Amino acid sequence: MSEQPPAGNFHPQDAPSYESILQCMRCGFCLAVCPTYALTNRERSSPRGRAALARAVTEGKLEFTSVVRDEAFLCLDCKACSTACPSGVRVGTIMEFCRSQAQIFYPPSLPAGMLRDFILKRMLPTPALMEASMLPARLYQRIGLQWAVRHLGVNRFLPGVLAKMEGILPTLAPPLRLEIPELIPAQGPKRGRVGFFLGCAMSLVFPEVSRQTARILSQQGFDVVTPKEVKCCGAPHLAEGDRETARRLALINIDLFLALDVDFIVTDCAGCGCALKEYEEILEDRADHERLRLFRSKIRDISEFLVEVGIRTEAFRPVPLSVTYHEPCHLVHGQGLSKPPRQVIRAIPGVELREMKESSWCCGMAGSFALKELETSRRILERKLANVRDTDADILVTANPGCHLQLAWGVRELGMKQPVWHVVELLGRSLPS
Amino acid sequence: MLSKTVIDHLRRKIGTGNVYQEREDLLVLGYDATPEIEGLPEVAVFPENREGLEAALEVSRQEGMAITPRGAATGLSGGSTPAAGGMILGLTRMNRILEIDEENLTATAETGVITSNLFNAVAARGLFYPPDPGSQNVSTLGGNVAENAGGLRGLKYGVTRNYVMALSGLLYDGTEFVAGNKCVKDVAGYSLRDLLVGSEGTLGIITEITVRLVNPPQDKRTLLAYFRDIRTAGEAVSRIIAARIIPATLEIMDKTTINCVEDYAGIGLPRDMAALLLIEVDGHPAVVAEEVEGVRKVLNDVKADVIRQAANAEEAAQLAAARRTALSAVARVSPTTILEDATVPRSRLAETFAEIERLKEKYGIRVATYGHAGDGNLHPTAVTDERNREEIEKVHAFFSDLYEKVLSMGGTVSGEHGIGIAKKGYLLRQFGKGGMDVMRRIKKGFDPDGRLNPGKIFLDEGVSTGVKIPGGANV
Repeated sequence: MSEQPPAGNFHPQDAPSYESILQCMRCGFCLAVCPTYALTNRERSSPRGRAALARAVTEGKLEFTSVVRDEAFLCLDCKACSTACPSGVRVGTIMEFCRSQAQIFYPPSLPAGMLRDFILKRMLPTPALMEASMLPARLYQRIGLQWAVRHLGVNRFLPGVLAKMEGILPTLAPPLRLEIPELIPAQGPKRGRVGFFLGCAMSLVFPEVSRQTARILSQQGFDVVTPKEVKCCGAPHLAEGDRETARRLALINIDLFLALDVDFIVTDCAGCGCALKEYEEILEDRADHERLRLFRSKIRDISEFLVEVGIRTEAFRPVPLSVTYHEPCHLVHGQGLSKPPRQVIRAIPGVELREMKESSWCCGMAGSFALKELETSRRILERKLANVRDTDADILVTANPGCHLQLAWGVRELGMKQPVWHVVELLGRSLPS
Repeated sequence: MLSKTVIDHLRRKIGTGNVYQEREDLLVLGYDATPEIEGLPEVAVFPENREGLEAALEVSRQEGMAITPRGAATGLSGGSTPAAGGMILGLTRMNRILEIDEENLTATAETGVITSNLFNAVAARGLFYPPDPGSQNVSTLGGNVAENAGGLRGLKYGVTRNYVMALSGLLYDGTEFVAGNKCVKDVAGYSLRDLLVGSEGTLGIITEITVRLVNPPQDKRTLLAYFRDIRTAGEAVSRIIAARIIPATLEIMDKTTINCVEDYAGIGLPRDMAALLLIEVDGHPAVVAEEVEGVRKVLNDVKADVIRQAANAEEAAQLAAARRTALSAVARVSPTTILEDATVPRSRLAETFAEIERLKEKYGIRVATYGHAGDGNLHPTAVTDERNREEIEKVHAFFSDLYEKVLSMGGTVSGEHGIGIAKKGYLLRQFGKGGMDVMRRIKKGFDPDGRLNPGKIFLDEGVSTGVKIPGGANV
């Protein structure tokens, strides 16, 4: 895509391809599913409008203005429009390219740029740095400050974004990456060997969830190999418009996992899974095609994997709970996986799945969107939680750390009864201990 | 260029967030779903109520500014594109459902309500609003009325016009009009309501619409038939109608369409077949059973290659939804899709398919054909690339020839998409000078200054620069 000829008023480096934009025939089917259009009712904040803006820039009718930049970042990149689009237009991807353009046309101010560079180019690619950066947060929780802040309502006096940052963070345990064995052997008759792609957010924020994932894979008869040298999948870089670092990380992860000699590469993070499945595209013409194809053929989301190999349910214990399922955008729209998580949920004896309305509507987290666009994010979340409330289910299940944080924050803020679980946490309850 | 005073006035009357002047907003309010046609307004307003609309009309009057009403801009003839620049009047923020009258079996809504929202709201009361244009999840009721939109159920249930009971709104000078009422019978005066339906925003601004509701069918069955020759499919359609069976839906898709839809929807359509018919019969269970048998007999008689029945309601709904995506799915094949909605008497369907095949050969272009076969309404869609001017010329020549044939068979140049900009030339051929002159006098009666949606329907109406007109359609 980046090798395209003249890109009009776009900078030639990492510009969206004209073909990908022209594919939009403006039928408007996407208007019905776009969360930002639903809020603004403004054409330029719709997928069709955003594609038209990109087209105008390519055709020289418009400069890459600050409005184009803002629309690129207001887009949640939830990819709901890709699912809805019969013509195969991927506006989220076009907007990712526009975010790259934004870095060229509107370089961040020096301190902000340095911070951004530090986070994207140094911290995220280096797990140890990231783990260290979370230390103060853990300390803060350990000494009881978090309890005090939440219960005394001090956070009401914090500026909105700090309050949300404080509120959204769950109790942190030590990062799983440092604790998980490199190899967890299969239990029972062995069915194969899988590489576990342990995502940053899962390791740092939801170590117990990923521990369940590894446990389930092993219980289902798979050797689980978790390399400690794993790098960030690159999803935050694509989202922030740093395609260069994303490509660098992708190459490292491909080498790392292809050297493991595993049948499949499994992840329990929808965001990671989506990015891993895009490696083939973002590295097109920049790496050996066969290796890219081979890597792509091994990637599975945990639910996708379990359904594909068949779940061994013999030893499962009943879990008498009603649950409702929120579909992470990066699973349903990014990877086209809508049924597998439900099939996993239904495979658990005793569980009643209550479908919520608009289950595939974004929760408003969308990476760093929830912190950058507080009010918009909150309104999107409220729409979601109203649908959750209507089900009156015991548990709210999802399958992605971003959604998990946002939803858990929302139910706490609104005093709702549903705890938020990852699909594997629910499944874990059913496993023999 | 509007002065700051005027813009400030609009903002005060309509609301700051409902008036747009930034280039990025205007650039994305100049198109609809019609390829090659695009305009650029000077200002766009989205009033939330009648007062805001009055202010917009007043400014249009004082400034002598053209005003183009716009719903969801999903139209397929350029009807909501601002051909003369001026003001875009967005109507999507007047979108309340005002009343569902269960005693009179009517619903009244503001013009910007989304079609499927109205459908769902009345369905929740056990009632049925049948018109279902392909874009029903996005399109507005006002847009449907303005274009007299059809849909998949048109064959049995009719089109939007058949459900409109009353319209109200404002004329060019801000005067209120009310056309029609909730009475089942009404022969008072000229039927202004029927003039306004399908008037494409050129006669008045509709703000409220009352539609007739019916009972939902108690039962329905969906049949699929596959054919190795598209003409056999055409014959099957004619014979079903001749057997006095009127299915709710009788849709056709050719091979190209089948493959594009299958690429998107992945529901197991047969990629190697030349055509398929999607047939839905509905009504009382006993009648449905009888009609399914009747349809099966016809399909057996013409030797359809495969006949199957949808297993359940879910599969049937999936099939109908897939058919709705046909136009957009065909757009996968190439960047530009130019479609028409040639409509012929149903007895001439097989002949029309043959003509489409002949003309495809003649011009050497790719055309996907699908449509509402049961009502003779076809959507031959050229898959092309607007950057290839030579091929685009051929496409327009293809349609020009096709319409010649369609008109000679007693057909019409538009079954459901309207004239807008794209089909002005064809309309003249269908009506001749006499018919067009009458229409022009009607237009003058409603809009003497010609400010309401100028540049549409009438071929000789001035069009400002910056608007692209398809070559062939402009003859």
